[in-house]
Amino acid sequence: MIPFALEEPASLAEAVRLIDPEDPTCRPISGGTALMLMMKSGVFQPSKLVSLRRVEPRFSAFAVTPDGGLEAGALVRLGQLERADAVRAAFPVLADTFRVLSNVRVRNVATLGGNLAHADPHMDLAPVLMALGAHVTATGPSGSRAIALADLFRGYYETSLEPDELISGLSVPAQAGRRSAYVKCTTRAAHDWPALGVAVSLAVKDGTIEDARIVLSAAVETPTRMTEAEAALKGAPIGEDAFRAAGAAAAKAAEVTSDVRGSAPYKTQLVRVNVARALRKAIASEGAA
Amino acid sequence: MSVTQLKTHPLMPNGQVGRAVPRLESLAKVTGREDYTHNLRLPGMLHAKIVRSTVAHGRILAIHTEEAKAVEGVHSVVTCEDIRAIIPEPFFGPAFHDQPILATGKVRYVGEAVAVVLARDPHIADAAAQLVRVDYEELPAVYDEVEAATSNVYVHETLKPAGTFPDLKHLEGKRDTNVALDYRLIRGDAEAAFARAAHVFAHDFTTQQVMHTPFEPMISVAEPTSAGLTIHTASQSPSFVRIEMARLLKWPENRIRVKTSHLGGGFGAKLYIKLEALAAALALLAGLPVRVALTMEEQFYTITKHATTFRIKSGVDADGKVIARRCDVWWNGGAYADIGPRVTQKSGFTAAGPYDIDNVYLESVAVYTNRPPAGALRGFGIPQLVWAYESHTDLIARGIGMDPVEFRRKNILRDGRPHATGTIMQDAAIPEVLERTAERIGWDQPFARGTGTIRRGRGIAIGFKASISPTTSVAIVNVSADGSVTLYSSTVDMGQGSDTAMAQIVAEVLNVPTEGVCVVRPDTDVTPYDMATLGSRSTFHMGNAVRLAAEDAKTKLDQLATELGLPARSNIPVDQLFKKKYGMQAGNVIGIGSFIPSYKSPDHDTGLSDNVTPFWMIGATAVEIEVDTETGHVTITRMVNVCDVGTPLNPKVVETQISGAAIMQLGFTMSEKMELDAGQVTNASLADYKIPSILDIPHLMESEAVVATQHSGPFGAKGVGESATFGVSPAIANAIEDAVGVRVTALPITPEAVYRAMRAAANTPLEDF
Amino acid sequence: MADLRTISFTLNGRPVTARVAPHHSVVELLQNEFGLFGARESCGQGLCGCCTVKVDGDPVSACLFLAVFLEGTRVDTVEALAKGGVPSIVQQAFIEAGAFQCGFCTPGFIMMTERLLEEHPDPDEDLIRHYLSGNLCRCGTYPEIIAAVQLAARRRSAARLDKAS
Repeated sequence: MIPFALEEPASLAEAVRLIDPEDPTCRPISGGTALMLMMKSGVFQPSKLVSLRRVEPRFSAFAVTPDGGLEAGALVRLGQLERADAVRAAFPVLADTFRVLSNVRVRNVATLGGNLAHADPHMDLAPVLMALGAHVTATGPSGSRAIALADLFRGYYETSLEPDELISGLSVPAQAGRRSAYVKCTTRAAHDWPALGVAVSLAVKDGTIEDARIVLSAAVETPTRMTEAEAALKGAPIGEDAFRAAGAAAAKAAEVTSDVRGSAPYKTQLVRVNVARALRKAIASEGAA
Repeated sequence: MSVTQLKTHPLMPNGQVGRAVPRLESLAKVTGREDYTHNLRLPGMLHAKIVRSTVAHGRILAIHTEEAKAVEGVHSVVTCEDIRAIIPEPFFGPAFHDQPILATGKVRYVGEAVAVVLARDPHIADAAAQLVRVDYEELPAVYDEVEAATSNVYVHETLKPAGTFPDLKHLEGKRDTNVALDYRLIRGDAEAAFARAAHVFAHDFTTQQVMHTPFEPMISVAEPTSAGLTIHTASQSPSFVRIEMARLLKWPENRIRVKTSHLGGGFGAKLYIKLEALAAALALLAGLPVRVALTMEEQFYTITKHATTFRIKSGVDADGKVIARRCDVWWNGGAYADIGPRVTQKSGFTAAGPYDIDNVYLESVAVYTNRPPAGALRGFGIPQLVWAYESHTDLIARGIGMDPVEFRRKNILRDGRPHATGTIMQDAAIPEVLERTAERIGWDQPFARGTGTIRRGRGIAIGFKASISPTTSVAIVNVSADGSVTLYSSTVDMGQGSDTAMAQIVAEVLNVPTEGVCVVRPDTDVTPYDMATLGSRSTFHMGNAVRLAAEDAKTKLDQLATELGLPARSNIPVDQLFKKKYGMQAGNVIGIGSFIPSYKSPDHDTGLSDNVTPFWMIGATAVEIEVDTETGHVTITRMVNVCDVGTPLNPKVVETQISGAAIMQLGFTMSEKMELDAGQVTNASLADYKIPSILDIPHLMESEAVVATQHSGPFGAKGVGESATFGVSPAIANAIEDAVGVRVTALPITPEAVYRAMRAAANTPLEDF
Repeated sequence: MADLRTISFTLNGRPVTARVAPHHSVVELLQNEFGLFGARESCGQGLCGCCTVKVDGDPVSACLFLAVFLEGTRVDTVEALAKGGVPSIVQQAFIEAGAFQCGFCTPGFIMMTERLLEEHPDPDEDLIRHYLSGNLCRCGTYPEIIAAVQLAARRRSAARLDKAS
């Protein structure tokens, strides 16, 4: 790694001030797992890093609200959420996702904010949070604003954050009985990045799907809602016909890319199959508390 | 989850050989105190960072080093021109002297070492290395082994065989070819037999380029000394490194000292000479110790396993007997020969498989291409061959409507019968391994085929390997005056447990506890010559040398007793002997053992030899699998590996070698592949090159060593480390066909390959891309 | 090197200080300043686990962890597990199960197993596999590693029962 300067401000406001929006070699670092990989491989050579590790403790805290939502600071480590019983109870799908998200050591270090701001399309958490209807709080020199996850990801490693904005928090609404699931599909080894991620969240009533959110990741350039597939499910009776129709609709709509994990036609087949499987898994799961 | 049934093997009379002794270095390994070469820091040491070629084939027009040299903290920037000042002919290699220490004139693959930056701080060396610019005139490149064999794009101007091997001499100075070795075997008359065969089957199979990825990345630290040079290196062949460095420097061997520690894995990656010549040249130029340590990524640019193409054709008579076989094998050797030509011949002659076939025609060619070099990797080419001939064997059995095990049984090569080379088989438990594998998997039992989108299948495959010959091992056993015993051997323990096994042999002969035997690490100033730690040769070759050395020491102790007037074989403690002899605790007894088996080189024209190897290794695999018919995902639910290892010296170590070898081959079968784009490896990291994790192995793994004896081996033992790699890939492909009726002929077996094959079989092929 | 700073932390139970630059990793720090080589760099990407150490009790990849971030933390390495030359229960189980060959990945697996058994004293095989899926063993000793973890779990339970009675 190439030598660089490091700032360790004691407040988020100070951190925001220290980040030079004109200088792409100046970036914030929290857990640093993804950034370290880029630095070690020489893909990113910083002149200055601004560490967020010493900012106000509230950014490292999280709570499940009385109504069952989650409010978390951006510096909360993934492993903290994974081990929290309250989070597991309110969002069983998160516990299920953490199990397959990278590895224990990464989860012990990687932070919510860093994970989302990195905007690697292969990340497991982003599609799940999108399906859960989450939003982040972005903080910049002129204050804070809420950005829905659906609006955060703009493209391949690209977000709608301004260069001098940081993710400071995450809010996940109470799920009110919605059923959710995440399917990570790998094509080489189990510990590979996913060839495809599928996150779904369903509101069901009396054997009918009232509302569905379906998000694809990894096989597509950025986590993407499958609106056609969602529409195909709206009002449909729970069952194989609906799941298959949704899979087919998603396969038709998804703009799938080829890479070493599979060709686009093959990954399109994975979309078809795994959307149906994710829906099946969601229905079989327990609804959120 | 793992069920092991190492059949009851005999414990030798003194209770040392045959005992499951935990590895002698166990405590060091679990406490993090093992002293790998990786850990070595020397005063004043410089770190080297290699600047690598960015083109696959090109003339070097200029190397611009000024900017890098100007970086504060840089000691120097070195190119091949600098190295020529101390090594005028800077070309090395075990089979061909074709590889420059740093590229000179031309580069032949992406990643080839072109220049080196030296600095006290490795981060400064890294940063400065990025400032070295190289101008190239790009040349056309060739990557495919079959294409390269006849291409007019030549990787090398002339062939430069090392002269070490008599059968390579005829290649000296040969021009305008990429074929580094063409081995041919002619037995009987294959063409005539094809003409009278009831059925003829022909298939093509390919394997991909893969890498060993030893977890201690390759490292050499060279240090100028008053005598000359010491090289501390994670090498599997310290004796070879010394001889090759002496040749390069035109020094006597005794001025060069090569020391190894325990290796963090080798698998063939750390064989012969790799970074040592570079480290040595840099240390001599700088007059300081120099550490050349690769990253995981850089290992992919250093040595790999051959990609292959294998065309195989068999003629079968009406009774299901194979009467003719033709094999054409192309080995993709990459830009430098390394040991590839040996792989081509020494493994090549077994390409017709462990079957009794009267008429065989076989060609095996080593081909230069503009890829990273290929050498030996756990099996020395055998897994590539077994992949083809055992897939082919299953296809024939299906083609003639015979049970695959019954078909193998009918054609299997038995002791007393000649192998294709003409060598009469001996101590090769091929039928026994086949039968035990079939029995363990329950081949004759009913088998649930699965339902819905999950289909189940099972498959079996068997392969064999000849030990590389002729090779020499020398060992010394020292009995000190207190009776404690030290073994001096240049066998390198890279995890296979050789220190422990060798100590067991010494302990058995001298009737002392294994745990008390000290095994000295290879150090060419101290430990005697050994050809190398490769090809599962150590147990047999060094094992025999160690046994001879221990017996020599024992004889000398007996002579000492006789000299002192004591009855031979009296049980007087050894320390009393010395005390009686010297009047105090003094002196020692040195036993020496040297071993080289007999061998006859194959005839140049026919490839035949009646003594082609000192011993045979046999391995078979059977698997049960599930195929997801919607995605092509294959799950191996159960794997049985059965080997003939002779009589195990250490049953526990043997068990781990069997399952470990099978798991490594599982990676080469299912997920590992070096992706290349215009010669550039695009996935040179464990993030993108996927080796098996704990989640990728079968829930049920079973290992077995059949009851067998290698009569010429130490206590009936022979090599272990590679045998379980042989059958894994074809067993899985055979099981896939059993489950879903499609045949995969290229490795790795990705879910997409299986799914595409199913769609093609259903006449609804998936579009290409 | 510019921008050297002094950090203080607790290493294997002892307070220590060190001079580090921002671009130094924890692996470099432990090896070069403290002579501790049990955490070692292999893949360099946090995937193989050879560099596992515990920071404030949680296993992390020391090859991806900046040394400056250790300020004020508690760091534990594999070297601290054996007490007076006696291996820990987990280390002993790895020896008896023969759960390594070359040993390069072994300290990482052991550090992970120590934490696994603190969190889950009686893990089933599925949990063992998932917890250890971020550690790789190129020698392929996974069957023996699973056996070692199970053996260690049994011994730790027995030790707890002994203490309780």
